Amino acid sequence: MTEQRAHPIQSSNLSKGAVQGHADLELAARCLAGVPGAFEELYRRHAPRLFGVACRLVGRAEAEDLLQEIMLTAHRKLGLYKGESSLGTWLFRLATNVCLDQLRSRSARFALMTDALEDEPNAPPAGAGPVLGVIDRLDLERALAALPPGCRTVFVLHDVEGFEHREVAEMLGIADGTSKSQLHKARMRLREMLAAAGPAATARS
Amino acid sequence: MTACHDIQPRLSQFVDGGLADDTQAVVAHLDTCAACRGVVRDLERLRGAARELGPMRPPDHLWLEIAGQIRLADRPSPSHSGATPAHRHAVRQWIALAAALVVITLGAYVVARFPAGGSKTPPANTTGNAAGTGSVELVQQELAQAEQHYEKAISELAALAKSNETSLDPAVATTLSKNLTVIDQAIAESRAALSSDPTSQPARDSLFEGLRRKASVLEATVVLMNQMRQGNQEGAAKAAAGLGKKS
Repeated sequence: MTEQRAHPIQSSNLSKGAVQGHADLELAARCLAGVPGAFEELYRRHAPRLFGVACRLVGRAEAEDLLQEIMLTAHRKLGLYKGESSLGTWLFRLATNVCLDQLRSRSARFALMTDALEDEPNAPPAGAGPVLGVIDRLDLERALAALPPGCRTVFVLHDVEGFEHREVAEMLGIADGTSKSQLHKARMRLREMLAAAGPAATARS
Repeated sequence: MTACHDIQPRLSQFVDGGLADDTQAVVAHLDTCAACRGVVRDLERLRGAARELGPMRPPDHLWLEIAGQIRLADRPSPSHSGATPAHRHAVRQWIALAAALVVITLGAYVVARFPAGGSKTPPANTTGNAAGTGSVELVQQELAQAEQHYEKAISELAALAKSNETSLDPAVATTLSKNLTVIDQAIAESRAALSSDPTSQPARDSLFEGLRRKASVLEATVVLMNQMRQGNQEGAAKAAAGLGKKS
């Protein structure tokens, strides 16, 4: 995965990356050797990000079960980690795949849903100027959960997790252009929902 | 002048800096259109808010369940079992059975804690192998580690028992609590013995074994509850078997 854009989660400098890479391999080796506490350390370090993406992709109700599945799969496959990427990235890829499999199994029409949404007309602008003030985190989480799974997935991967359209498209098996249009749909829908959410979200600044 | 409905599909890419050829047309439109400028402003704000969402802390009991699952996975199994999330349903009656198994297991543990023979081989997992090395520092280190593990397991199980989803029947919880008290007393005795004779191998083994067994039983209990909650009887049976075995 290339990381061209600065992002709160993914930004790093080279020296820090090299040190982290060594630490990741060392932690993976300790886990594989069965050193007491090693896998728990991995869990404590990475589970919050994985749990966040699971909650946002599949919903809180299923995220706990999926995090278990993710960590058990990671435990089983850790021997395949060779340090080509950071351990966090490796785990995140694994987590995303588990979540996407879950979404696909939940609806065999998942791919169709993402494509169908592309054909929907744009929502008209909700006003003659900006309609959003300070966006409350909980309002955004709620609105995000209400999005259709197709565009929600693109929004989570692109806007929350910082992946590029090319990477999102590859993960979802869709065209770059579809990823872009899904993202726009997701943002416009979120804008509408947040504008309707209440004074906290609609206060103009 | 380009119309709003032509421009708006490109505004997300414009905000992301991803427009190649159309930037001038979008900028020209934005100069004259307050509505689309408002959309751009909102999209920027939304994108910024999304990046602030960040990680979410999973519930404390999840690690305990995962650790228990890993223990189970490491045991030889006749067949793999695993209910998909779609099949998971609360089965409250199983919880009482889970607790009953714990009670039985703890009872067996209390008996087994006072073996007639000498010390057993130190456990290899949480307690490591320092007990066999004779290094006081290592022993103390491992004692601290085992105690930390034990205390965490207790607090996480307590949190789990308090949760609405998997709360124990009050009567069963009381019985369980009484049995846990017996175990705590046994551990305290071992600790006292070790305090008076820090080099006593049997006392070390006994304390390690007590802490390890309790943590192990609690982990298996949580796994069992989880399997039962999922309606996964095969997994539950495996977990139940694990409760009665030395792991």
